[in-house]
Amino acid sequence: MNILTIALRNARKKWVRTLLLLLVFTLGVVSIVSLNFVSRVVGEGLEKKLVSFGANILVSPKSEKLTVSYGGFALGDMLFDVTYLDEKDTIARVDAIELRKNISVIAPKLVVMDRVQGTAVAIVGVRFAQEKLLKGYWMVEQGAIPGEEPAPMSAKPKGSGMHAPSAPAPAAASPTGLPQAAMAPLGVPLDTYKGNGVLVGSAAAAKLNLKLGSEIPLGNTHMVVTGILAPTGSEDDNVLLADLTFVQNAVGRPGKANFVEVAALCSGCPIEDIVHQLATALPGVEIKTLRNIVEQRMYSVHFVKQLILSVSLVILLTGCSMVGISMLSAVNERKKEIGILRSLGFSRRAVFSIFCAEAASIGLLAGLAGYVTGYAVSFRILAVLDMAEGAVLSFEPLHLAATVLILALLTSLASLVPAWKAAAIEPSEALVTL
Amino acid sequence: MNATETTRPAAFAAPMAGTPLLEAVDVTKSFTQDGTPTQALKGVSLSVAPGEFVSIVGRSGSGKSTFLSVLSTLLRPDSGQLTYNGQDLTRATEAEVNALRHGDFAVIFQFHYLLPYLTALENTLLPFMRGLRPVSGAQRRRALECLERVGLADKGHRLPGQLSGGEQQRVAIARALVKDARVLFADEPTGSLDSATGATVMELLSQIHKDGLSVVMVTHNEQYASLSDRVVRMTDGLMA
Ligand SMILES: Nc1ncnc2c1ncn2[C@@H]1O[C@H](COP(=O)(O)OP(=O)(O)OP(=O)(O)O)[C@@H](O)[C@H]1O
Ligand SMILES: [Mg+2]
Repeated sequence: MNILTIALRNARKKWVRTLLLLLVFTLGVVSIVSLNFVSRVVGEGLEKKLVSFGANILVSPKSEKLTVSYGGFALGDMLFDVTYLDEKDTIARVDAIELRKNISVIAPKLVVMDRVQGTAVAIVGVRFAQEKLLKGYWMVEQGAIPGEEPAPMSAKPKGSGMHAPSAPAPAAASPTGLPQAAMAPLGVPLDTYKGNGVLVGSAAAAKLNLKLGSEIPLGNTHMVVTGILAPTGSEDDNVLLADLTFVQNAVGRPGKANFVEVAALCSGCPIEDIVHQLATALPGVEIKTLRNIVEQRMYSVHFVKQLILSVSLVILLTGCSMVGISMLSAVNERKKEIGILRSLGFSRRAVFSIFCAEAASIGLLAGLAGYVTGYAVSFRILAVLDMAEGAVLSFEPLHLAATVLILALLTSLASLVPAWKAAAIEPSEALVTL
Repeated sequence: MNATETTRPAAFAAPMAGTPLLEAVDVTKSFTQDGTPTQALKGVSLSVAPGEFVSIVGRSGSGKSTFLSVLSTLLRPDSGQLTYNGQDLTRATEAEVNALRHGDFAVIFQFHYLLPYLTALENTLLPFMRGLRPVSGAQRRRALECLERVGLADKGHRLPGQLSGGEQQRVAIARALVKDARVLFADEPTGSLDSATGATVMELLSQIHKDGLSVVMVTHNEQYASLSDRVVRMTDGLMA
C-alpha cells in the first residue's frame, strides 16, 4: 500500500466511470494500433503486387513524335528516326547505381512492327526471365513460355488469375521486402534461351488465328508459337513476345533495345532518388516514372488510413475530454477527501499525483488492452481482406511500451487541470462544516 | 493571556508549566462571503501546555472551529502569532507545515471524514501512504494496535459505509493515534453521535490524554468539557 493505492481504490470504487473511460480509450487505441498494423501489411502487400503489375520506371531514348506506344513507351515514328539504347551498356549502368538494392527487375525490350497474314502486329523482344518477374500476372493458357517445358496438364492454375504469386520460388524475404528470387537474376541475362519461340497475347492469337506451332515470318527468318497467354487485360494481349536476342538478330539490330523497364518498388522507395541516379548514370536518356499506378493505389490506402486515423484521434480526444470533465467533477466531489489528506500532511504534489495517477492508470490499462486487442483485430481484418497469408505481423514490445506510455501520458495530461485544482484546495476550505 | 479562563483544579498539571507547547497570540481571521466580510476571529489568544487538555466552548458561530483550524495549521490567520514548540508557524514553509500535520498534529472532526473506498485499516494507515514507499509491516502492526485500542480490532477490513457513526469516529481516532502525534485537535468529536456513543468516544479521548497527549477540543457539551483540564469560552470571535 502506498499513495497509488488511494488512486487505484477510488478508480475501482467508481468502476462504472472507470470502465467507460477504459472502453473509450481502448477503442481509440485498438483502431490506431490495428490501423497501423493493417496499413503496414497492406502497404507491403501492395508493393509486392505492384511489382507483379509491372515496371514503374521507364528508361528510353529521347523521342519527339508519338505514334505507336507499348508499355507506356512512345515508339516514335518507327519507320524513320528510331533511336536505340545499347542493351548491355544501359543495363550495366542501371546495375551500378547506388540505390541498386531497391531495383528488383531490369527488363530491356525491342519492339518491331511486322505483318502477319496482312495484319500489322508488334513483336516485342524480351528477356523472358526478367519479363516473368515483371509480369507476375502472366498465365500461359496453352503451351509454355519459350524455353520452358509446358507444364503437364495443369498449365492453368486454379484461383483468380490476376493474383498469382510473382516469384516462382518461395524465397526468403529480402531487406526490401521483395522476394529474393526477384532480386537475383539481374545484369547478366539469366536466360540462355536464344530460340525462335514466341509467346502470343490472347487477343493477337485470336485475331491472327495463331495456334501452338504456327510459324510467323520475321525478317529473313521465322518464329514458332510455343505458348499463348491467357487474357491479361494489358497491352500484352495484343502483341507477340519473342526472345530479345532473336529479335535483335532477325531485324539486324544486335545488342539494341528500344527501352528498358525497371521495377523499383519497395517500402518507402525513394523513387525520386532512383530516377535521379538513373538520369545521372544514363545521360541523354529519358527516365520516366509510371507514377500513376503507384500513386493511385497508394492514394486509396492513404485515404483510408487518414480516415481511420482521424476517427481514432477524435475518439482519443473525446476520451481525453471525458477524463478531464469527470476528474473535474470528482475534484469537487472529493473536496473533503482532499482536505483529510492535506490535514494528514499530504503535500500539494501528493494530492496532484493521486489524481494524475488515477488518470494515468486508466491510460495505462487502455494502452495495454488496446494494443493487444488491436493486434488481434489486425489479424481478423487481414483475414477478411484475404491478406493474412504471408503477412508477418511482428509483436514489438517496444511499440507496446510506447503505446502504453503515450496513453498514460495523454490521460495524465487530460487530468492536469483537475489535478492542479485539487492540489490547490486548502484543507480548511474542504473541511468547513457550516 | 487576555482571555478569561475557567480553570479546573489541575488534576493533570502541565509538566513544564512555564513553556507552552502551543501558543496563539492575538489571532485574527475574517472571511468574505458574497461580498460581506465576517470577522470570525477578532484577536484570540490561547496557550496549551504539554500534555494539557483544553476545551473550547461557546455558541454557534462564535469562531471555535475557525480558531481550531488556525491552531492546527489548517487555516492561515490574517494576523497574530502561532508558535509550536518554539517554532513560528505563521512563517513556516509549506513543507514544514506538512511535516507538522504529518507528525505532531492530529485532527479529528465532527464528521469523521474517512476515505469511503478504503477499509478501516487502510484509513488508519493513511498517514503512511503519503509517498511511493509501501506501508511496512511494522506500520501495519501499529495500525492494528491502534484499531484494537479503539475497540475495532475485528472490523479493520470493513469499509466506512459498513461502520456505525461511532465506529467511524473511532477509526478517525485510531488514524490520529497511529502517527504518534503530540497534540490532538478535535472539533466536536461527539457532535454527530448519540450520547452513549459520544460517551465512549470521550472516554477514549481522555485515555489518550492520560497517555500524555495534549488535547484541544471544541465541544457544545458542558459535561464533556468538564473532563478537560481547562475550559475556555469564546463569544463572537473573542475569548469570553
Ligand atoms: N469558510 C468560511 N467562509 C465564510 N465564512 C465563514 C467560513 N468559516 C466560518 N465562517 C464564519 O465565521 C464565523 C465563525 O464560524 P465557526 O465555524 O468558527 O463557528 P463555530 O463556533 O465553530 O460554530 P459552530 O458551533 O456552529 O460550529 C461564522 O459567522 C461563520 O459564518
Ligand atoms: Mg464549528
